This record gives sequence, C-alpha cells and structure tokens, in this order.
Amino acid sequence: MNSDKFLDRAHDIQDTYGYIPEGEIDKMAKEFDVPRAKVYGSIRFYSMFYTEPTGKYIIRVCDSLSCHINDSKSIVDSIKNYLGIDDGETTENKKFTLEVVECLGHCGEGPVMMVNDEMYTHVSKNMALDIIKDCT
Amino acid sequence: MVKLEIDGQKIEVEEGTTILEASKKAHIKIPTLCYEENLSIFGGCRLCVVEIEGEDNLKPSCATMVQEGMVVQTHSPTVREVRKNLFELIIASHDIDCNLNCLTCSRSQNCDLREIAADIGVTEIRVPPLDKGYDVDESSFSIVREPNKCITCGRCIRKCEEIQGVGIFTTANRGPSTIVTTFEDKGIGNVECTNCGQCILACPTGALHEVYHYENVWDALHDKDKHVVVQTAPATRVAIAEPFGAEPGTVATGQMVAALRRLGFDKVFDTNFTADLTIMEEGTELIERINNEGTLPLFTSCSPGWIKFIEHQYPEYLDHVSSCKSPQQMFGAVAKSYYAEQHNIDKDDLVVVSIMPCTAKKFEAVRDEMKEDVDYSLTTRELSRMIKQAGIDIMNLEDEDYDQLLGVSSGAADIFGSSGGVMEAALRTAYEIITGTELDNIDFNNVRGLEGLKEGSVVINDMEIKVAVANGLGNARILLEKMKNGEEYHFIEFMACPGGCIGGGGQPLPASNEILEKRMEAIYDIDKNKKLRKSHENPMIKKIYEEYLGEPGGHKSHELLHTHYKERGI
Repeated sequence: MNSDKFLDRAHDIQDTYGYIPEGEIDKMAKEFDVPRAKVYGSIRFYSMFYTEPTGKYIIRVCDSLSCHINDSKSIVDSIKNYLGIDDGETTENKKFTLEVVECLGHCGEGPVMMVNDEMYTHVSKNMALDIIKDCT
Repeated sequence: MVKLEIDGQKIEVEEGTTILEASKKAHIKIPTLCYEENLSIFGGCRLCVVEIEGEDNLKPSCATMVQEGMVVQTHSPTVREVRKNLFELIIASHDIDCNLNCLTCSRSQNCDLREIAADIGVTEIRVPPLDKGYDVDESSFSIVREPNKCITCGRCIRKCEEIQGVGIFTTANRGPSTIVTTFEDKGIGNVECTNCGQCILACPTGALHEVYHYENVWDALHDKDKHVVVQTAPATRVAIAEPFGAEPGTVATGQMVAALRRLGFDKVFDTNFTADLTIMEEGTELIERINNEGTLPLFTSCSPGWIKFIEHQYPEYLDHVSSCKSPQQMFGAVAKSYYAEQHNIDKDDLVVVSIMPCTAKKFEAVRDEMKEDVDYSLTTRELSRMIKQAGIDIMNLEDEDYDQLLGVSSGAADIFGSSGGVMEAALRTAYEIITGTELDNIDFNNVRGLEGLKEGSVVINDMEIKVAVANGLGNARILLEKMKNGEEYHFIEFMACPGGCIGGGGQPLPASNEILEKRMEAIYDIDKNKKLRKSHENPMIKKIYEEYLGEPGGHKSHELLHTHYKERGI
C-alpha cells in the first residue's frame, strides 16, 4: 500500500465530507487493494481522521504534560459545562465536537487549544468560552 | 551456513535464520506471544528479547537474523528481568479480575499466558490490571470475541489477512487505547467473516472462542421426550484424544463412539456416511457437467468457511459450486427424513447434533436454506468439554462401533478430513463409475499433503481430467485468480482451513504444523486399514438409494441433499 497516496486520499475525503464515510472506505479498499478493515484501522490510527460525522467546529484541548500542569483540566471542564457534551461528543445542533487530545506542539505556551485549524495559546477558562462564543 | 553460539551451544544454521528459529534448533525455548509460525514477524510483544554480545540493547529474537560469530544469551539475568517486567505490563492490559478469571476462561486448560508465566517464573504482578470495559462481540453465530482479554498481539489479524486472505480484523487507535476490532466496529457477524475460526487457533489468550452450544445439547440429552442422535465428522476422530493428553495423531474413533454413548446419545452415527453420500451426489454432478457441457470446473461445497468466502468475495463464481449440501447437512436431512420415518420418530422430537472440527458449521446449520437439518453443531473442543464434564475416562474406554446404517462408511469418507481427501474420494468413485473398470491404484498421492495448492490430472476414458486442491482461503484466492487469468480445470476441492478439516478452527489447541501433519497421517492410516475404501461400494449407501433416495442426482436427492447459495457482498 502506498502510504503517501493513502493519506492524501483520506485527507481529500475528510476535507469533502468532514469525516470519512463507510462507503468511501469501501472505495479506498478497492483502490488500494487491501481489506476494508485495514483501511478503517489505518484511519482510526490517526486521531485527526474521523469515521463519524463531527461538528462544524472541532475543539481540541491539549492535556499532555505541560498543559496538564497548567490546569488544562479546568478548561476542559468549563467547555464541557458550557456545551453540555463530554470528551469525544458532538453537540445536538452539530456545531461543536470536543476532543481532549495529546500534545499539539506548543508546550511552552500551555495550556493550548485548537478550533479547527486555528491555534490558541495561554488559554484561560474565560478565554476558551469567548473563543467558542465567537464561532458562528 | 552461519556459525554462532547460543547459551554456550555452538550451532550452525542457514543464513536468513532468525535467532528464535536457531534457538529452537539448539533445543532452547524462548517465550513468545506475538510470534506464530506461518505468519509475518510483528515483533510487538518483545518477550523474545535476547542479549547479543557487543550490542547495547536487547534484541527481539523473532525479528533478528543470525550473524557469523554471534554470541547470544537467551536467558541471562538481564533478559530474565526484562522479560518479567514486560510480561507484567502485557498482563496489565489483559483484564484479570473476579469477573474474568482463569477458571471461567475458554483457555483455562491451554492458555499461552499461563504457560509463559510459569516458564519465566513470574512471582508478582505489580501493575494493576486495566479495566477496559469493552463489550463482548456476540454478533456472530460461530465466534465470540472478548476484547477485555485481548493483549493486541495481532495474531488474529495476521492469520485472517495473510493465511486466509480475508482480513476482517484490524487495530484501531494508538497507545494504551489500541484495540483489535472489525470494519466500523460492526462485529464479526456483520462483516465478511467466513467463520473459519483460524483466529481462535491463533489467539494466545481466551479473547476468541466459538459460540458454545454444548449446554443446549446437555438439555436435549436430559429431555426424556427427545430422541437425540449424533454425527461425528471425519477429522474429529484423529484429534479428540489430544485434550486428554494423548499424542497428536492418536486415532480414537471407537473410544469417541463409546464416550458419546455414555453421554446419553440415543444413536451414534457418522458424518462419514454422508461423506460417502456426498461423493455419490457430487460425483454424479461432476459427470453430468462434463457430459452435458455444464459449468466447469466444479467446486466442492463441503467447507462452509469456503462457501461463505466465495459468497462474499467471488460471487461471480457461485455457478461453479456444487449444489450438494455438506456432509453435515446431508446427514441432518437424511436423519430427519429417512431415519425418522424408518423408526417412527416424530421429526419434532428428533434432535440432530453434530461434532465438527469446525466453527463455520455452526453458521451453516442456521442458514435459511437448510436450518431444519441440524439442531446443534459442536466443535471437537466442545465435545472434549462435555466428556470431561461427565467424568468419562475416554482414553481407557473399550472401542465401540457406530450404530448401523448411518454409521457405516468407506475409507474414502475418512480422508474427507484432510486436504485433498474429497478430491481423492471423488476420483476413486468417478473413475470406476465412468469407466466401469476397477482402479489399479486408488491412492492419489499428488493431491495429499499439507501443501496449500496441489494440482494433478487423471485420465478417465481418454479424457484428461485436470484437478486442483486448495486449502486455506488465501490459497483459494490464488487459485481463483489463476482461473481468472485463463487457467482451466475440471474439478477443484476448496477447504477453508490450512491442511483441511484436520486443521479446522474447532479442533483442539495447540494446532502447530507438526500436529497437523500427525493428524493427517492418522487420517490416511485409517483409510489404508479399511477394507471398504470407495464410497460407491458402501453397502449402506447402496441400500439408502434402493430404499429411499432412488438415483444419485434424482428427484428425492435434490429435494433433500442439494441447496443453493447467495451473493453476500462486502
């Protein structure tokens, strides 16, 4: 299996649908001539590929060591409270998906969070909620 | 050749040998969990690490090739300590608690984890087990998966993909949340699983086992209103002795019959009888297809794992599959018609149980096309459980014979249990029926053996009949692709499991190549020592056609002994 091509295809599909639907996995299995379980597993290996529909905005809060000791947990809790969803869940109006994730690569500026492709550093509880409120 | 030293033993092995293989040759056992002969090297469990002189780090012996002059220590103090630590961590991901303890585990008698714990001398478990809380996958008619017992060694994944060419399993996620799962977490019963059960043989823990039906059989046996008959598949008789400590390859036909009688079955019959019947029906079908320019090659239909494989993967070839039911299903059909009528037994009171080397037979028994035939299909392992539960000392029982009529069989039926056997049995009969002359040599050695793909040809009445045999679904795929590329055959035997039914997913564990060879030898020994070695010469087969079925391939036969298949998609 050509892994570069494979990942490019997966990105294209996710960019189109917001996630990688079942039917597209079947197509990829045929294209790359591998069992569909293997395609599914490879997609599931990468935490930023989705096999279920997500919200319009994906909120990722880092909880790796640096962010954790800077109290990322309180940010996660306040977002959970505000949106009424748990880690990995999507709001009923399909607007937000919350994910507590591993390192986002800004360990010196924690706690950090991302909303879709936008990175926010030195986040506080209020700041996190303001960012969310600004999402339209 | 490469010379090296392992644990002070000087040995010489071929280039390209791994340290693990070389150690085995030097009679040194290195513990492994993710390694399995026949599968690709994964190197994930690290239990097989060894110390190599001049190397800083320990190396996994399964994935490290020998080199000239290498000095290896497989059980040095460092290795032993590291191994214990690794094992503790592996065990921590294998949920051992009051709900999932060893006593109730399917592998309580032959668990790889327990064996390794004893071998490396684990004395403490410092890491508390993770409570993973996954749901048990009960979506399949044949196979159960208990993910909490899984150590993600990946043997099931590789077995399914590399040996069977199916690939229903995958890992998902990373790190401690890594799980083995199926496409979209649908469950084994909702994907293209063939139910072959090879994953069960690959699993070192109790994470995979068959769906148990022996409790239902106990209930039937204790129900005074039920007349319970049992049939035993050819491959069970050369394996049933193993769980009782006998050497692989021990033939225990008579003792198995005696044990079944003691368990309380009203009649002990033999699937071999309907294996002979299969030859009559399938042989007739082959002759008809050849004479009437029907669809060729004809594919055998005995192996339900193979049937589900072709239904999912190659539906365009379904016309090639013989319409004959498998011997298990033919038996059920004959028992519930002929036998019930002969003995005035109400069909509703008759319970047909089968003992099979197979997990796919469980699915076959509930197929819509023929779900009336067989009530419960048990694996050889389940039968061994029942015998133990009844306290029967099977190895010391006197041999007993099968009950009459549905228990009489030829050696041609016995060899159904081995790859190439159905082909050989069919050729013995087809040759003699077509030519009207007796075969000089009835041993077709070129279709025998553990090799995954075998080909040969037989000249019958100046016509060269080209035959092929595939065992293991990966090999079935290779053969079908060859056909797609224009290769021509007349008759092909397909078996889902490597080695045929002797290596079936319902057979006792362990099931190494060496053990399969011994079972196979035992099967051919049974045949060799039988007087009756051709299906069409079985007097009871003649009798059932005279009294009940009419002609092979006739109307009654078609009604009872034949079926159809369906495209399942992926």
